Amino acid sequence: MSMAFDIFLLLFLIGTALAVAHSKDLLAAAILFSSYSLVLCLLWQHRGAPDVAMTEAAVGAGITTVLFLVTIGRTKRREK
Amino acid sequence: MKNAAVASLLVIFAIPLLIAVAELPPFGDPDAPIHTHISARYIEQGVEEAGAENLVTGVLLNYRGFDTFGEVTVIFTALAAALAVLLTSGGVQYFQEDRPPAPPKGADESERPPTPVSPVVLFVVRLLAPFIGIFAAFVILHGHVTPGGGFQGGAILGAMFIVLTIVLGAGKVRPRLPEPLARWLQGAAPLSFVLIGALGVAFTGFYLGFPPEHSLHLVRELMMVVLEIGIGVGGAAIFARIFLAMEAD
Repeated sequence: MSMAFDIFLLLFLIGTALAVAHSKDLLAAAILFSSYSLVLCLLWQHRGAPDVAMTEAAVGAGITTVLFLVTIGRTKRREK
Repeated sequence: MKNAAVASLLVIFAIPLLIAVAELPPFGDPDAPIHTHISARYIEQGVEEAGAENLVTGVLLNYRGFDTFGEVTVIFTALAAALAVLLTSGGVQYFQEDRPPAPPKGADESERPPTPVSPVVLFVVRLLAPFIGIFAAFVILHGHVTPGGGFQGGAILGAMFIVLTIVLGAGKVRPRLPEPLARWLQGAAPLSFVLIGALGVAFTGFYLGFPPEHSLHLVRELMMVVLEIGIGVGGAAIFARIFLAMEAD
């Protein structure tokens, strides 16, 4: 069960990473990257590293995403 | 043709990496090299020696204090670099009141006028912000006992500032972080390390040395809490400052 959960999270991680790389819409890419961080946070927690999980949730899923969104807001939403 | 070449190159690079990963000891293996050198000492004596019940904090602030000092200095330098770019690029006005005229509204969707904030969002953010602040303070101050610490709590505190800036507008949040105060706060992490480092010299003769005697365990814990507060407040100020510098009202 535990192993299956890990594998599910890792597959989800690979899926979101590929989606971020493929997306031409930068807003969608930023949101996908946020979900990538969230899944990674679950994985850290599940692997017994709560300190890293908290950092990932606060910095990766929270602040990095906001900074990406502000940057996109100041430039263009679509990748040329 | 080009895609096939890229794919074959990727496969060629992936094979040695996969072989190397397969050679690694399995997760949680007690005979793995990382568990046979110093980890055992950290786990057995870390609580007593380093003075933090959370071993991660003990390693971060005591055993590896110099590395953390370097880390917060790097973050502070990164802020200086980011502000140097943001404040001189002309597009972002943090200090000057006169702004360039708004660009003409084009066909691009990113140039639409900003949507007004919904009252629901406004209410929820105003309701939750104090709780986020309390949670951040808990994570910072309790970092030597439970998971968390200055970096995590600082990020949460910074996120509180950011969410308030988004909802209330930068004009209302900026006066809460006035320029002279922000200058000191964003350097709080390296400054607290210098202060505690000097205290360590006074107590043990070593820079950043924590007194190992049991009689001084309160002093040691206090030094850790001061470091955590420094890291947390400094981190929050850095995040808030970068965001405010990017946000031009």
